[in-house]
Amino acid sequence: MRKLLFIFGFFGMVISSVAQQMTTTNIFSKMDMGPQHVLWDGTNTMLMGFTSLMMTPIDIPGPTLVYTEGDSVELKLRNMSQSASHTIHLHGLDVDQWNDGVPHLSFEVGHNETESYYFKAPHPGTYLYHCHVTSSLHVQAGMYGMLIIKPQNANETWDGGFTFDKEYAWMTSEIDTIWHTDSIINAPHDTTTIMRILPDYNPQYFFVNGRAEYQLSDTNVAAITSKANEIVLLRLANIGYFGNRLIFPTQLNAKIISSDGRPLPNVESSDTLEILPGERYQVLLQPTIEFTDSISVDYFNLNTQNIANIQMIPLNVSGFVSVDEVFGSQVTIYPNPVKDKLFFSNFTEKFTIHDVRGKSIIQGNVSSTNSSIDVSKLSKGIYFIKTNKRTTKFIKN
Amino acid sequence: MVCLWKLRNSQLVSKLVLGIFFIFLTFTTVATTVNQSLYIIADSLLTVDSAKVPYLTFNDSPTYSQSNPIINLMVGDTLDLWVYNTDNSTHDFLIKGISVVQSIPANDSVFLQVIFSTTGSYIYYDPSDFPKNTYLGLAGMIVVRNHNHASFYWNIKEHNSDWNTQLFNGNTVNWNQYDPKYFTINSVSNPNINGDTLARVTGKVGDTLYLYITNTGLSIHSMHFHGYHATIKYSSKNATHVGREKDTFPIYPMETVVLQIVPDKEGEFPIHDHNLVAVMGNNIYPNGMFTTILITP
Repeated sequence: MRKLLFIFGFFGMVISSVAQQMTTTNIFSKMDMGPQHVLWDGTNTMLMGFTSLMMTPIDIPGPTLVYTEGDSVELKLRNMSQSASHTIHLHGLDVDQWNDGVPHLSFEVGHNETESYYFKAPHPGTYLYHCHVTSSLHVQAGMYGMLIIKPQNANETWDGGFTFDKEYAWMTSEIDTIWHTDSIINAPHDTTTIMRILPDYNPQYFFVNGRAEYQLSDTNVAAITSKANEIVLLRLANIGYFGNRLIFPTQLNAKIISSDGRPLPNVESSDTLEILPGERYQVLLQPTIEFTDSISVDYFNLNTQNIANIQMIPLNVSGFVSVDEVFGSQVTIYPNPVKDKLFFSNFTEKFTIHDVRGKSIIQGNVSSTNSSIDVSKLSKGIYFIKTNKRTTKFIKN
Repeated sequence: MVCLWKLRNSQLVSKLVLGIFFIFLTFTTVATTVNQSLYIIADSLLTVDSAKVPYLTFNDSPTYSQSNPIINLMVGDTLDLWVYNTDNSTHDFLIKGISVVQSIPANDSVFLQVIFSTTGSYIYYDPSDFPKNTYLGLAGMIVVRNHNHASFYWNIKEHNSDWNTQLFNGNTVNWNQYDPKYFTINSVSNPNINGDTLARVTGKVGDTLYLYITNTGLSIHSMHFHGYHATIKYSSKNATHVGREKDTFPIYPMETVVLQIVPDKEGEFPIHDHNLVAVMGNNIYPNGMFTTILITP
């Protein structure tokens, strides 16, 4: 009996240790010692922010945190800011009160201290994290970043959701340099009160991923390059204090598919999207022709609704997705685009055809004796063939 | 045979009569007439930092309150409403999307009778010289429910004390340069919002809670929930947004929104404007639009 209990206990411990395997992420909160962050026009400013390495200079936004749905996460915050306490608020993740990062309702991390936030990565989607200590100041100072939860199949928006070929993440924000002066950003931390007098907010700089103007042409910053018939997932988050209005060229066939980490009940096709502070959206871009244009981002004042700034993000759709690119050289489907019958070579598997929303349309087997699929009854559009090994896109005309 | 038919028919008729009577009984017991009076009174708004700002509100008695009353109805109810103007200038009265504009001279009154047949949240206000009188405080909320779940009510708004003084003194302001300093829910700011039982969202794990929000200010507000996502049940501006499950909700000027929250865990979590300028009051953090939801096991 004792042996049996021991065996059960041993296996129980093994199972429990596997189940509790944790992804640990280290993150540092820091403050610039002076105005050392260079803005697009050469102006230097001072930031507070998060970095993934101790010696890395602060940038805005902070490092993007990426997890897979279901991950058990330990987010370890080491505060090296010399003065103020900090926290990490996991914006939209709906974590429990203790791990929510609101100082007076849980805990704050003092200078030279390390504390951990624990959570289980919830619904796949686009989220934020930011400091919630004197949040008006610390967020403006630069203490924010994007947090992405992916489903098990990283090329889907969520389990059974939309399939996409590539993704971009844009986080919008502003800077009022008055708030970044030493007397404001580096005021001595008062442990006796959370109250703080702050200046009026009149930002002079408007960002996408912490960059602006000519810097946005860099594809590593924001610019989008794509091919016709590729599906691009655009993750959007507004951490600023202005509203954003994005205007997509109509050729992008933009579809708004989710917000705040949840699928929309009805997909919305629109060339305009307003994103208010704290909101996140996911948009699918589905160009079917080659073209060059820009996506514009208006920054509007929430009190007057007047536009204070416009940033233009270059967009280049060049070339077409070829069959070989998605299949690999050994497998061919043809013709693509297809009208009636889709033929295969070097392909013998069970398959499912589903639409861009993930809905299964046709299921069957392809073999050497049955190497075509009748797709004549499908509506025009983009479809995917899923097998155990791969997902392949084709266009029905 | 005829007798049998008559018998069957009479049974059918009696069932039909019984059914109609039951439906009649159901509706007559639910729908009622609600008598309400509103008094337009000029006084002042006491801000979070104890400043007194000239202000105008509708009140449910001749005694001044800086918060406009929330008129709470069930679907099918009839609202019998008297509006008394105790101010020394003429005001108008309108229930947005429901009634027609009625002018009320100084020291006069008007009567409205409205049957509310659909659920939602509606704004009553003074549309004269818009947005002046609405901005100065004359805007409140009518809530029409079809349930008895715990419900909470926010009339959100912002204020610029200098502008209130200017407008009360008969001067004009440039609405294109609006720069509010105080941000309120039911006319109070943090930390006083949690003291308002109508505003402070409380409940138990698994409860179905409703939050009725109107924005009677001039600014767009972006209300962020910690801890929970909520579902949009009604939006006067974007009907297509109904059903969306979100944690951050833009609410545009003169828009009304109804949210449903079903808390899945206990805890105290903030709800605040994520335009983080609006969580300040006269430039003091965190004296603005900030409250907490409290959920017990």
